[in-house]
Amino acid sequence: MDIPFDISSYLCYQEVAAETSSFKMDLDDDTAVITTLKSFNSFINRPELPQRLSESSAGSGNLQSQYKRRMELLEAAEKVQSKNRYLQLDLEKKQIEMSHKKARFELEKMASDSARDLEHQVDQNQELLGRIKRLENKETEAAKNLSEQEEANRNLRKNLEGLQKKLEERDAKLNAANQTISSLKDESRELMMKIRNQDSTISAQTLETQELQEQLDLQRRKYHEVSQLCQNLQAAESSCADHLFKIKELERRLVLQEQDIAIVKTVKSEVAKVPDLEKEVKLLRDDNAFLRESRENCSLLKEEVEGLRRKLERMEKIKEELINMELEKERVTEKLQAWENVSQSTGFNIRKPEDLSREVIQIQQKEIALKEQNYALNSRVRSMEHSQSELRLELNQQRNKTMEEQKKRETHDALVRRLQKRVLLLTKERDGMRAILESYDSELAPTEYSPQLNKRVKEAEEVLQRVQNHNVEMEVSYMHLFHRQKIEDLEAERQRLEEQNNILEMRLERHNLQGDYDPVKTRVLHFKMNPTSVAKQQRQQEVEALEEEIKHLRELVCSLQGGGAVAHSHDDSSLHSSNLSINLRKQIESSELKNQRLKEVFQKKIQEFRRVCYVLTGYQIDLTTENQYRLSSVFAEHMDDSLLFKKGSNGNMQLMETEFSKTLGEMVALHLHHQKSIPVFLSAVTLELFSRQTSA
Amino acid sequence: MTSTLQGITLKGSSELVADFFSFGINSILYQRGIYPPETFSRVTHYDMSLHLTTDVKLKNYMNNVVAQLKEWLMECTVQKLVLVITCLETNEVLERWQFDIQCDKSAKENCAPREKSIKAIQDEIRSVIRQITATVTFLPLLDTPCAFDLLVYIDKDNDVPEKWEESGPRIIDQSEEVRLRSFTTSIHKVNSMVAYKKND
Repeated sequence: MDIPFDISSYLCYQEVAAETSSFKMDLDDDTAVITTLKSFNSFINRPELPQRLSESSAGSGNLQSQYKRRMELLEAAEKVQSKNRYLQLDLEKKQIEMSHKKARFELEKMASDSARDLEHQVDQNQELLGRIKRLENKETEAAKNLSEQEEANRNLRKNLEGLQKKLEERDAKLNAANQTISSLKDESRELMMKIRNQDSTISAQTLETQELQEQLDLQRRKYHEVSQLCQNLQAAESSCADHLFKIKELERRLVLQEQDIAIVKTVKSEVAKVPDLEKEVKLLRDDNAFLRESRENCSLLKEEVEGLRRKLERMEKIKEELINMELEKERVTEKLQAWENVSQSTGFNIRKPEDLSREVIQIQQKEIALKEQNYALNSRVRSMEHSQSELRLELNQQRNKTMEEQKKRETHDALVRRLQKRVLLLTKERDGMRAILESYDSELAPTEYSPQLNKRVKEAEEVLQRVQNHNVEMEVSYMHLFHRQKIEDLEAERQRLEEQNNILEMRLERHNLQGDYDPVKTRVLHFKMNPTSVAKQQRQQEVEALEEEIKHLRELVCSLQGGGAVAHSHDDSSLHSSNLSINLRKQIESSELKNQRLKEVFQKKIQEFRRVCYVLTGYQIDLTTENQYRLSSVFAEHMDDSLLFKKGSNGNMQLMETEFSKTLGEMVALHLHHQKSIPVFLSAVTLELFSRQTSA
Repeated sequence: MTSTLQGITLKGSSELVADFFSFGINSILYQRGIYPPETFSRVTHYDMSLHLTTDVKLKNYMNNVVAQLKEWLMECTVQKLVLVITCLETNEVLERWQFDIQCDKSAKENCAPREKSIKAIQDEIRSVIRQITATVTFLPLLDTPCAFDLLVYIDKDNDVPEKWEESGPRIIDQSEEVRLRSFTTSIHKVNSMVAYKKND
């Protein structure tokens, strides 16, 4: 790889060298061109000077040729300049091409380098991959070996542990065996020791027994001597006792004699006082007599004093009564004046209470009468209302009847009209017939028929007129009758209806006063936001608020009763209330505890007191039923012996009869009936029972 | 309140009647103790001393009602004005002050004022109000909390204005009625009466 590269690089270098040499040649050409330019310019400038000198002398022809020459020179200079430029550009181009080639060469170099590097890397990669694979294989094999070895290890350990355990067991067994052996050895040694000791003790004890027997003999002898001494002592003691007794008697006699001496002395002194005493006795007797007299006077005076005192009390009472009487009198006079004023104020002409009572009775009677009138009026009103309703019905009926009669009348009128029409028709017919007859009369000659016909016609007309008159009369009379009845009926109805009308008007007035209205014509309006509805709403809201409060308080109470764990809602008021409930519960518990303690203390005290009473007085007092007390004595012979006392309504205690009290009849009579003292009776019973106990 | 010096027109009569209702109702509220006496102030009207409420809500209510009443009086469609006093606890009507209004409809057609002096009308009104004050002596005591309401009986074919609604007549069960004085402006005649629940 390296070798071909060197050849190519060498070739490139050669090319570059050739180009640089050509470039140098060009450069030389250029320098030659530049030097020629310089020489040309210098040539132009030199002749200019002389040309200038010559110009002034030459004339205008020389100027033109100079100008032409200058122009030609300028054009030549321009050409040279352009050639120069062209050569410069060529140089530049060649330089650029050179640089291009250099760059290309360098790039190719770099590319080949990198390609070579890449091939290196790839080879290295492949090598590494091969190594990795080999290493992985080794690893797996090593892992397998490791696991196999670990298993072998575990097995070996297990075997070791088993063997160790067996070893330990055997060691333990060995130890135990050793221990038993040692203990047995020790025991055997000890037994041997004991045997030896016991032999020694036996020998010692035999020696001791012998000694003791000798001592015993000695003691017996001593005992005999001592018993003899005792007997001597007893004889001496008895004699001593006798002597002591004699001494005591003598001492007593001495004391008595001394007492007698003292008595004798006092008697002597007293005897010396006797005459004085006699004098005193006399004086005292005189005083006594005087005092007795005075006592009598005293008693008399006391009686007088008592009498006077009673009089005084009576007089004081009478005075009080007098004062009361005067007050009452004043009051009565006031009342009397008031009563008299009443007569003046009411103007009823009352001078005595009889008048007042009379007036009152009159008023009451008037009141009763008015009340009766009131009730009567009420009942009348009710009856009137009833009758009014009935009358209304009647009115309706009557209206219906009138309607019917009107209809009847209308029908009658219609009939009349019809009849009148008929009459008209008949008259017309008659006229027609008359005309016909007249025509017949006119046509026919006056024959015998016409007077007969005329007569007949006249008769017929008369009959007709009579009938008509009769008809008319009948109608008139009929109508008169009809009308009269109708008028009477209608008059009666009218009156009734007038009364009903009045009553209805009154009722209507009453209803109007009460506020009735005709819903067809009237409607009742009120303002929507009126004070009543506003007040009702406020009341409703208050009621609702109160009901909510009640519910809340009930919940609180339930919770307090139940134990308070439920009422933990999230309001401040309920927190406060739960605090309250806790406080209350604490208070309740503390008070209960106090109660309990008080009860215990009280019980203890009362039991103590009862025990002390029993001990001090000798009676146990039990409350059996209401107001009945059972007393049991401490010295009672039987368990059931007891006295029963009952507290009366006035507070005194009375003894009730029991089996035991029957046996104490004498004491009851003496102490309760005669002396009227229950404590004395009870103490007598105690003494009696005590004496019975001690003597029995 | 006053219309022309010479006579009474429909408009003037309506204003007189509306004024009478305003003062009369205030007097009744004061006399019956529906509102506390300290909420009333004394004013002079109809040549006498009358009570007028100072409570703002009540004033507003009265102004609304009286204004509407004037309109109805001008149209001659109002038949009665009733002041109902209700017990709040039992919701029963205890008292009913009823004023019947009769309108001379011919005054609507011709606009000539009627001959009646305002002084005479005022005298009549004064006597009516005095009588109302005197009736309080025999009316039973209102010792429970009460509220009042104003009902208007108008012609059925009238439209119901905004803020007003239909109501029942609130008649007292078992009542005693007393008819009081009336007054007339020659166009409107107002009869007064009071009904109260009998105290058993």
